[in-house]
Amino acid sequence: MLKLLKEIFRTGEATVKYPFAPMPVCKDFRGKPEHRAEDCIACAACTVACPANAIQMETDTAAGTRTWSINYGRCVFCGRCEESCPTAAIRLSDDFELAVGSKADLTRKAVFSLAECACCGKAFAPAKEVDYVARLLSQSARSAEEADRLRLTVSTCPACKRAQDVHQIARMGIGRQMNKELETTP
Amino acid sequence: MNVPVNPKTLVAEMPPVSTSEQIATMKKALLKNIQRSAYVYRVDCGGCNGCEIEIFSSITPVFDAERFGIKVVASPRHADILLFTGAVTRAMRMPALRAYEAAPDPKIVVSYGACGCTGGIFHDLYCVWGGTDNIVPVDVYIPGCPPTPAATIHGFAVALGLLEQKLKAETHVEAAGETAALPHPDIPYALRVRLEREARRMAGYRQGRAIAEEFMALLEGHAHMPGSFTLSECMMEAIAEERDPRRAEIIGRLVDVVQQAIRGEAA
Repeated sequence: MLKLLKEIFRTGEATVKYPFAPMPVCKDFRGKPEHRAEDCIACAACTVACPANAIQMETDTAAGTRTWSINYGRCVFCGRCEESCPTAAIRLSDDFELAVGSKADLTRKAVFSLAECACCGKAFAPAKEVDYVARLLSQSARSAEEADRLRLTVSTCPACKRAQDVHQIARMGIGRQMNKELETTP
Repeated sequence: MNVPVNPKTLVAEMPPVSTSEQIATMKKALLKNIQRSAYVYRVDCGGCNGCEIEIFSSITPVFDAERFGIKVVASPRHADILLFTGAVTRAMRMPALRAYEAAPDPKIVVSYGACGCTGGIFHDLYCVWGGTDNIVPVDVYIPGCPPTPAATIHGFAVALGLLEQKLKAETHVEAAGETAALPHPDIPYALRVRLEREARRMAGYRQGRAIAEEFMALLEGHAHMPGSFTLSECMMEAIAEERDPRRAEIIGRLVDVVQQAIRGEAA
């Protein structure tokens, strides 16, 4: 009996104190993905990376908004979103207490506004993304004019860029040059 | 069987099991003064068994759910709480419903794991119903893939009304003039990309980014610090302080990348 008691005291208590005391988690624990919407540029890299489609994005060009949403109920805590985020806006935190009574509480949303094309005025990409890319490019631009040109290029929608390319090619007169070549070649 | 099909998910829409008002009030009364153990019956609706392993580890002596009277029982007829795991495959729908019907009212239904909550990674698979709540009314959702034993205990506490849920639905709306900060504006963009690429190549995506971030903070610190230190001296010091030889090797490689960039060599 005494021997048993001694053994028990020697072993101590194995049970964690969890609900009454905070639970320490190990380093690199992958808990709830924490999204800092202030740093997010709504580039949709995380939505592409997410294998479970927990992170989704909906673009509403009529209202000029893009809505980012995460469903913690569908998340598999793989951390691909954290890996792919260019601005480190999404981070897997230590938080694991995610149980909820209603399913609506499992989703989190962030609404971003869309930028208008510098040419045609139609909404085409999130304003924050356009601004971020423009600043990033002007950081490595050689001169102020180049920075301005780059800023104009990134704030033009793909359709307008294509149209401008066509105009430029027409101005260069490739057809005329080709005809000339054909005339001169025997 | 002629049932309406949801064209979005291509899954037949079964009428959900409804509970009467009487049962709802009974459930409230049960939760208010449950002065006994809560017996749990575990229904596996086609999961990968990850959730089962975590459930069993939460009743081991380390987490010891039984100190709160939470006990796993072998029959749904003994159960107060039904724990549904898995994405509810087509074949497991009827057995799950039978277990649900066999449990005496009032019963608490807990949806366990990412698959139980919404179907998880299998949500759009042709052979699953995608979540427990598509077949039975659910009281508490415990997300996680799988939920850790501590998360399981928290979920049970929420189910029994002992703890409040921490998560709340939130919507952030972009404020006017909100901009994302450029990371490391002092380091040229091309160099930053090369550093991140090299660190990620050597240490994997997650750790690589962490190491690259640390290294760039060091670089910036060096740039701001007036003094007689040269770059290589400062970095050698950082490498010497590093106790993990693998990290030291990666930092050494990053120093090489910086020096290559300074000499103007291509990557």
